[in-house]
Amino acid sequence: MADAIVSGISVATGIAIGKAYFVNRNHMARLPRQTVASDLVPEEIKHLHKAFATVEAELTAIRAQVPEELKSHASLIDTHLMMLKDPKLSGAAEGYIKSLGLNAAWALEKAVSDQERAFGAIKDPYIRERMQDIRVVADKVQTKLMGVDNDITAIEGRAIIMAHDLTPADTVELQVNKIMAFATVRGGKTSHTGIMARSLAIPALVGVDKLEDAVHDGDLVIIDGLSGKIIVNPSETELADYTERAAAFESYTRKIKRQCNLPAETFDGSRVQVLSNIELVEEVAAVIDNGGEGVGLYRTEYAYLNRTDLPTEDELTDKYIDLAAIMAPRKVVFRTLDLGSDKFISTFGELNETNPAMGLRAIRFCLKNPQLFKVQLRAILRASAYGNVSMMFPMISGVKEVRQAKAWLAQAKAELRREGLDYDPNMPIGTMIELPAAVMIAEYLAHEVDFFSIGTNDLIQYSIGVDRTNHHVSYLYQPLHPATLRAIKMVVDAAHQAGIEVSLCGEVASDPFCVPILLGMGIDSLSMTPQAIPGIKRIIRQTNMHDCRKLLKDVLQCRTVSRINNLVMDNIFKHFPEEVSFFSSLLENDELPS
Amino acid sequence: MTEETTTSTSAAGHYLSRQVIVASENGLHARPAGRLAQEAQSFEASISIVSDEQVVDAKSILDVLTLAAGPGHILELRATGTDAEEALNRLSELFKNKFEEA
Repeated sequence: MADAIVSGISVATGIAIGKAYFVNRNHMARLPRQTVASDLVPEEIKHLHKAFATVEAELTAIRAQVPEELKSHASLIDTHLMMLKDPKLSGAAEGYIKSLGLNAAWALEKAVSDQERAFGAIKDPYIRERMQDIRVVADKVQTKLMGVDNDITAIEGRAIIMAHDLTPADTVELQVNKIMAFATVRGGKTSHTGIMARSLAIPALVGVDKLEDAVHDGDLVIIDGLSGKIIVNPSETELADYTERAAAFESYTRKIKRQCNLPAETFDGSRVQVLSNIELVEEVAAVIDNGGEGVGLYRTEYAYLNRTDLPTEDELTDKYIDLAAIMAPRKVVFRTLDLGSDKFISTFGELNETNPAMGLRAIRFCLKNPQLFKVQLRAILRASAYGNVSMMFPMISGVKEVRQAKAWLAQAKAELRREGLDYDPNMPIGTMIELPAAVMIAEYLAHEVDFFSIGTNDLIQYSIGVDRTNHHVSYLYQPLHPATLRAIKMVVDAAHQAGIEVSLCGEVASDPFCVPILLGMGIDSLSMTPQAIPGIKRIIRQTNMHDCRKLLKDVLQCRTVSRINNLVMDNIFKHFPEEVSFFSSLLENDELPS
Repeated sequence: MTEETTTSTSAAGHYLSRQVIVASENGLHARPAGRLAQEAQSFEASISIVSDEQVVDAKSILDVLTLAAGPGHILELRATGTDAEEALNRLSELFKNKFEEA
């Protein structure tokens, strides 16, 4: 048996076997709280300053090596350097060594928590976030002080990177060719770690609670990005088993990748569009490489995050034109700003809500800030002249919101016309269906727009009333809940009744086990992470609509999730035995907490 | 904004002071705060920034950040020491050109 098995959220699939290497460990958990004898105080202060100086020298060296295209990250290193030199950190720590006789690491920790208190009172979330930078800096120094000299830049050989958290600044320092996989304590599905891992095509887990207790530097670990597990110091049998699975998964991935440019067509000739969800223009390469037929969801908010000013219309237009032109004649669906909830920009920092998931977010936020909304609408319209562009509004709860959004769009069009700027006057407009309210009035909404796109991640959360990042209730987050399936079915039916197309862009679209059910409903397109495309296309090509409709019919008669899961499993065993061995964990959800 | 330098006396002795306005669109965020602290560190004088009743050390990026001074915010720079005048000139210049490299 392994020493330990811990689980987290998989943000990039695959299996990696290698040595664990910790960076940014949360040292406080094991920091020795010691006092030093008064005659040793000068020695301890020297120790402290030496650690600061070492980190400063390292950061300066890293800064000099930052490639030109990452210069924006370099300013983060500058900020870190300033914090290192700041008397409020080193000076205060020195003071605590003198006055309280603390050891250097604890004295620094006390200085950091003073800052944490000062920053905690600040309303501006951007400035409050700088607290994380102080943490990062202090952590580097504490690492030196504790003699565990684990530096990101010092990795020898290839390793599996473990961290409390990885910031964009950290990733600048990573030597990517040495990394086999990532695992972090912090972070969610959309964190930087996930994006990074997916672009490197290596497995990654985030939200691994017990990571720092269970794994030590140099441990042999297996990262199973398929089931979201880390196996620490596996037994011979486990190791042999996983080595085999890793090889099998690799050959499966290669095989499906070779066929990824074949059409997504069922045995009996039904075509489904397979599109991709992306947030960076750079991801188009992955979309095309993996056989994506277009971009079904471009998350426009990324351009607004991690900066202190708002992007200008020209800046957005350039970016959007790039995307539209590269993908043309394939389609690109721009989702208008989906800020709020967990994504904020500092310019609107005052927004402090007790229940942000139900607050001023997405289209609500845009309709309250029409100036900002219009800039984006104009940029998307201008890009529509260069490619096959559509646009959709997130978080629509009623007909009036759609009409208001369309009114702003009409105004933007009129302005562009007056200014003699080109756009596609027939650019299709859609709404996201993410709220139960939108599901229930889908037939009305269908008359207002050209297409629907069902966002299942939010739809499931709002339908079941569950925050899937909340450990206590995340077991209730079930894509195959009868309510979810009925909701999706209602929306597809309403769309087709009105003669408009319907797409699905939640994670369900990239779940090979859910896809046959969606096909059975007659969904027109599925949009997913680029990496999932080859596998989903393969599923589509291995099935026929007759079977899918039969499965859907049976599934819709089930009253419980476990019953549905069983049916889906049977179907998969029968038709896609190869996928079972890799993806069965997706169905491990049950109705009761274990 | 007034360019006037005032000489005042407090418990800490004589100091020079000048009012500045935060003109940068996003207030005193990380980059301008870092720049300010960096420039302040190059002077002998001890320099503080006063905002409402908060008084912070201009040489500390962390202190400057905790002011959370937004656009339009009026601050007072105070300096004591041999190069106080020079320091105030340089720092108010930074505020005036919105912390652009120049």
